[in-house]
Amino acid sequence: MNPDDIKYHREHAWVRVEGKHATIGITDFAQQQLGDIVYVDLPETDTEVDADSELCEIESTKATSPVVSPVSGTVHEANDDLADSPEIMNEDPYGNGWIVVITMSDPSEVNDLMSRDEYEKFLKEEEER
Amino acid sequence: MPTRLTIIGAGPGGYVAAIRAAQRGAQVTVVEESEVGGTCLNWGCIPTKTLIASTEALEQARNAAEFGIELNGEVRYNLDRIRERKDRVVETQIKGIRALFKSRGITLIHGKGSFLSEDVVRSVQKDGTTQDIRSDRIIIATGSRPARMAAFPFDGRTVMTSDDAVQLKSVPQHLLIIGAGVIGCEFAFIYRSLGSTVTLVEIMPRALSTEDEDLSGIIERELKKAKVTLITSASVVTIGTADEGVMTASLSNGREVKADCVLVSIGRSLNTENLRLEDAGLAAGKRGEIPVNEKMETNIPGIYAVGDVTGRMMLAHVASHQGIVAADNALGGDMRMDYASVPAAIFTRPEIGSVGIREQQAREQGIAVKTGRFPYRALGKAHTTGEIAGLFKVIADAVTDRVLGVHICGARASDLIHEGALAIRMGATAQQLGDMVHAHPTFAEGIGEAAEDVLGMAIHVPGERRE
Repeated sequence: MNPDDIKYHREHAWVRVEGKHATIGITDFAQQQLGDIVYVDLPETDTEVDADSELCEIESTKATSPVVSPVSGTVHEANDDLADSPEIMNEDPYGNGWIVVITMSDPSEVNDLMSRDEYEKFLKEEEER
Repeated sequence: MPTRLTIIGAGPGGYVAAIRAAQRGAQVTVVEESEVGGTCLNWGCIPTKTLIASTEALEQARNAAEFGIELNGEVRYNLDRIRERKDRVVETQIKGIRALFKSRGITLIHGKGSFLSEDVVRSVQKDGTTQDIRSDRIIIATGSRPARMAAFPFDGRTVMTSDDAVQLKSVPQHLLIIGAGVIGCEFAFIYRSLGSTVTLVEIMPRALSTEDEDLSGIIERELKKAKVTLITSASVVTIGTADEGVMTASLSNGREVKADCVLVSIGRSLNTENLRLEDAGLAAGKRGEIPVNEKMETNIPGIYAVGDVTGRMMLAHVASHQGIVAADNALGGDMRMDYASVPAAIFTRPEIGSVGIREQQAREQGIAVKTGRFPYRALGKAHTTGEIAGLFKVIADAVTDRVLGVHICGARASDLIHEGALAIRMGATAQQLGDMVHAHPTFAEGIGEAAEDVLGMAIHVPGERRE
C-alpha cells in the first residue's frame, strides 16, 4: 500500500518531510519494476543534489537505473544498511528501505510533488498509455 | 654456417624470439640474468593470475549458499598453500621453457648481457667471469622493472613493489596501494579478498585511466562494492616512518591514510641503462626506450629490440609477437608489427578485455563513430553464473561501419575480447559481427548484441516507448 503521509515524484521516488529534512526512497511501483535490487551506489554525506536530477544509481538483476531526487539540498545521511542488504529496498521501500535524508535548500519544492491519490492516478494513466 | 643470433633477455619477448629463430635454423644464444620467462612468468602475469585463481575459489566458497551449496564451518584460506601453488605453477612453466630451449638446441647463458660492440655481446656471470659472444644478429629483450620513487622507503616488506606483493609473504591489515592502474587494481582485488582493508590512491581522475571511461566506471563501482576505498586526483607526498607498525601517508589533497603496508605501482622503468647501448652505437629515447621501426629494427643494422624496451604497448603478448617479427626479419624474413588489433586483458573482478580505439580517443582524433552497448545483466548466461555486472561496447566507424574498437568489462572478458580482435584484424563491419550467430547461452552473445546495438537493433534491451 502506498502511504498517504508522503509526497511522490513522477520518477517514482518519495519524500517524507520532517522540518528541513526530507527522507527519500523509491516507490513500491519502482522496486517492482526493477526486480531484485543488488546494489545501491549510495551518495556520500554533504553531496549536493538538485531536484529532478540523479541522486544515485541502483543496480537490480534487470537494469542499472538512476534514482531522481524530488528535492534540492545536501545529503545529510545515507542509509548504510543498504550497502550490505540492498534487498531491504524491495522488502520495505517506504520504511527501512529509505535511501538518504536530505537537508532541503528549497522546501517549497515539496509543493510541486504529488499526493498519494495523484500518484496512483498518474500510475494508472501511465499504464493506459 | 648458420646465422649466430644472440638474444639479451629470456622474457616473453626474448624466449619466443629464440624459439622462432631456432625454427628458422639460426644458432641461438640467450643471455638471461635471472630466470627464463622474465617478469611475465616470475613476477607478473602468471603468478598474479594464479593468486587470482585462489581468491576466486575463495569468493566462490564464500558465495556458495547463493548456489544452494552448504559448506560446514568457516571458509578459510591457507596463505602458505596459496603461495606454494603459485610457486609450483611458475616452476612448471619455467621447466617448460627450458625444455623447449633444449629441444631446439638453444644455448642459455646465465649472466648479465651488455654490448661490447655492434656484434659482440658480453655476458657477466654472477662470479664475475665474462663470456663474449660474437653475433651476426642481436635482439634486445631486457624488459622492465617496477618504477620506484626515491621519496618512498622501499624495504620489500612494508613498502613494496609488485615484485614483492606477488610473493604474498603476509596479508596486511591495511594496505595502501599507490597507483590505480592495471597492477594496482588487480592487487586491490587480490588483497581485499584475502581480508586486507585496501585504499587505492590515483593521481588521475579515475581508476584505469587508460581504459574506456565506461569500463573504468564499472571497475570503480565494483571496487566500491568490494569496500575498497578509491581516492582519485591525488598523489602520496610522503610516507611517514612506522609507529608501532603503522605508517601514515600524506596525500596531495591534505588527507592522510594509515597503513601497515604500502604497494607502489606507479608504472615501470625500462631495463636499458646497463646495456652499454652507446658501445654499439644504439640510440635511446628519454625514458631509455630503444626506438624501432615496424620490423623491430633499431638504428643499427642487425640489431633488433622487442618488448617493453621498445616503449610501445607494455604487454607480454606484444613482446612475444615482436619477438617473432624480429627473429623472422633477422633471418631474412619480411614481417611487420601491427598494433591495431592487439587485445589487452586486465584481471580485475570482473575482468576487462579491450582492443582498438576507445570512444574518447575517437572523439579526440575527430573520427566519427557509432557505439553499441549491451549490459551483462541482459544475458541469460550471466544470470546462471551470477555474474551480471558488466558491459559490452562495440565501436564502429560511422561511415563504413567497420569495427574500430571493442571494450568489454565483465566475466571472461579476457577470453571474449578475441572475437573483437579478429573483427578488427579482418576489417569486419558491426553489421557482420551482429549477423554472426552466437551460441546460446554464452557470454559471447553480448558481443553480437552490442554489435547490433550500433544500429539500435539489439534484441534484449527495452525499446523506446512509442508515443
